[in-house]
Amino acid sequence: MNFFRRRLPLLITFVTGVLFALQYYVPHPVSESMLTSVTKWLQIIGGFALVLGVTSLFHLHAVKIRRKEPGWGYSFVLYAGMIGTIAVGLWHNGKETVDNVTTAFGWIYNFMMVPLQGTMFAILAFFIASAAYRSFRARSPEAAVLLIAAIIVMMGRVPLGEHLIPLSGDLTQWILNVLNASVRRAILIGVSLGAIALSLKIIFGVERAYLGGGKE
Amino acid sequence: MTFAERMLRIDRRIIFLLIGACTLIPLLFPMGLAIKTSPEVTSVYDYIEHMPEGSVFLLSLDFDPASKPELYPQAVALLHHAFTRNLRVIGMTLWLPGTGMANEVITHVAQERGKVNGKDYVFLGWSPGGGSVIINMGQSISTAFPTDYYNQPTASLPVLEGVQSLRDVQYVVSLAAGTTGIETWYVFGKDKYKFELGGGCTGVIAPGLYPLLRSGQINGLIGGLRGAAEYEVLIGRKGRAVAGMDAQSVTHLAIIVLVILCNVFYLTIRRSTRGGGQASPAGN
Amino acid sequence: MSFELILGAWVAAGLTLFILTFLYQDNPLFKLAEHLYVGVSVGYAIVKTYDTVLVRLIYEPMLKPGITQGEWAKGDWSLLIPLTIGALMLARYAPKTAWMSRIAFAFVVGVGSGLAIPRVVSSYILKQIEDTVRPLLMLGADGGVSFTASLADPASNLNSIVLLIGVVSVLFYFFFSVEHTGPGRVVARTGIVFLMISFGAGFGYTVMARMSLLIGRLTDLIEFSQPQYGGATWWLLALTIATLIAFRLRRGETEPPR
Repeated sequence: MNFFRRRLPLLITFVTGVLFALQYYVPHPVSESMLTSVTKWLQIIGGFALVLGVTSLFHLHAVKIRRKEPGWGYSFVLYAGMIGTIAVGLWHNGKETVDNVTTAFGWIYNFMMVPLQGTMFAILAFFIASAAYRSFRARSPEAAVLLIAAIIVMMGRVPLGEHLIPLSGDLTQWILNVLNASVRRAILIGVSLGAIALSLKIIFGVERAYLGGGKE
Repeated sequence: MTFAERMLRIDRRIIFLLIGACTLIPLLFPMGLAIKTSPEVTSVYDYIEHMPEGSVFLLSLDFDPASKPELYPQAVALLHHAFTRNLRVIGMTLWLPGTGMANEVITHVAQERGKVNGKDYVFLGWSPGGGSVIINMGQSISTAFPTDYYNQPTASLPVLEGVQSLRDVQYVVSLAAGTTGIETWYVFGKDKYKFELGGGCTGVIAPGLYPLLRSGQINGLIGGLRGAAEYEVLIGRKGRAVAGMDAQSVTHLAIIVLVILCNVFYLTIRRSTRGGGQASPAGN
Repeated sequence: MSFELILGAWVAAGLTLFILTFLYQDNPLFKLAEHLYVGVSVGYAIVKTYDTVLVRLIYEPMLKPGITQGEWAKGDWSLLIPLTIGALMLARYAPKTAWMSRIAFAFVVGVGSGLAIPRVVSSYILKQIEDTVRPLLMLGADGGVSFTASLADPASNLNSIVLLIGVVSVLFYFFFSVEHTGPGRVVARTGIVFLMISFGAGFGYTVMARMSLLIGRLTDLIEFSQPQYGGATWWLLALTIATLIAFRLRRGETEPPR
């Protein structure tokens, strides 16, 4: 039983990891066919993974309603929204439009989901302004450099800024295409090396946190 | 409490009101300032402009409603351009919450341009998996998407005639709000299947994509609302992006003024603290 | 204008204003909209996953030929494999069978890691290094060399030098196995300067992005204030303000005096 619980998953990770790393270098039709099939499977398995996230949310709010914890009424609103959307969505087979006519599901998407999600993120504009006013101080020479670069880019990316200070546009382009590109490139190389190291650790069974679930 | 200290401790709701006003007033009373186009946006425009009629253009709308103000205008402009050039358009998304918007924008623009679903364009919809979807499409589009969004078999659609995989697509543009996006399309797509790749993105992730732009891994980059406005100017069709640039200008200047004021007050307090040997500046 | 469109405008404007009330303070209107947002988003995700995965990716290729035409042999039965792996993932909910989900995760993570390694090496490391180590001088057709010093052209020789210095100094700054002293300190400090400029540029771009989102929402609110939508924004704004005042007064009544 220890083999199935502990060794088999690690063996599967190792075999699949090595197989698909080597597949990149093998253009044989059998290798390509295997790639096509397995990536197709990953699409389907990805759908099941979504279910995992959803069920934990169900559970969290179900407990709140059952125990009548403070704010349980809002959990009820959440459930009502969820179940209402599912019912309407399944009624229309998951389609927002049918023959270019918006369905009720499409109505919920356009007039509820889009404004709600859009506004949730739009209020960040206010917070970034407030945070910039309260915290964006040139406490050190490095902070001053950051501040000046930010101001140049903010000026250079808008028509009014370019109109008032024409050089800001060209300077912004240089900052983004040369200075910023060099830094992001270094970070990209560093992060990629780290990601490869982590992938190798996973394949060779050194890193096992991804397995989770169940006793060993 | 000195004036500088009081100003640094001001109720943040006053700043919220200021930002709200700076956004609202230019929207109601536009200034109409000219918009200069940048080389990275012009590259995308030029590539589409020089594609022969009937070429295959894939637009992947990899964003959710949170990024709609920035990326939806980009999608509208690109689709108008592609349909004007009589390209065969394949639409899809790798982001589940964006499926409805992606369907809406393609259908709406195609209708305006008198294009027919299945013949001039197709919307494949969403599929889970991110990179695996791209690899699968690189192997076989009809395996990744056996049917389109409206359950028509993709293998029999006239618009996909001769398009077996991503190798048969001339240009892919990914409009991305994060991961999964432009980098995913390059790493799992262009690296092996060798199509040309362009990008459109939100302002948040744009700086991180410049290394790919500089190395030629993407041939162009449409960054944020400003990029969308530039593209609208290039195709001669001013829309929401151009309309929003005046508000963008005023809010940016407002933030710059706020930051400068903050530093003026901070330096004033620091100078008086050093001179008087009193408590540290407010907010520290 | 259709009733659905007008109703939609009222609902959208109302929900937008409810979320915006958070800027004043946390309140029941915001909480209502926030929970509704989560519920609707999750409901949407469930419907889409059902349509895409269960119907289009499993039912239609595997079961539909048999159910609709009796041609069971025409179904793609290899899809039973991912179906089984996906079902194993769900086994984590029962304590006795939770260990089976490890097999599913091992498969997904193994394949994902294997696919990623060579592609990341090729895309992010080799290609990026290739573009960094560019020639520092241009070789002309006549065999002569030239040096382009235009700052405006990102591909000029001068900018290539700046790019090289930036990449090397930033990489060195993050290399903590060697102490940053002497010449190393100079390189690390150079890296910090480059980093600060890049983060400043990132902040500027982020401000642009956030303001754009606000511009988008306010544009919609302005549109919904038009007479063809019944002035939805105005009425709902008045209702929202009145509700906030009512909440404030009620809280003032229930809170004990200081």
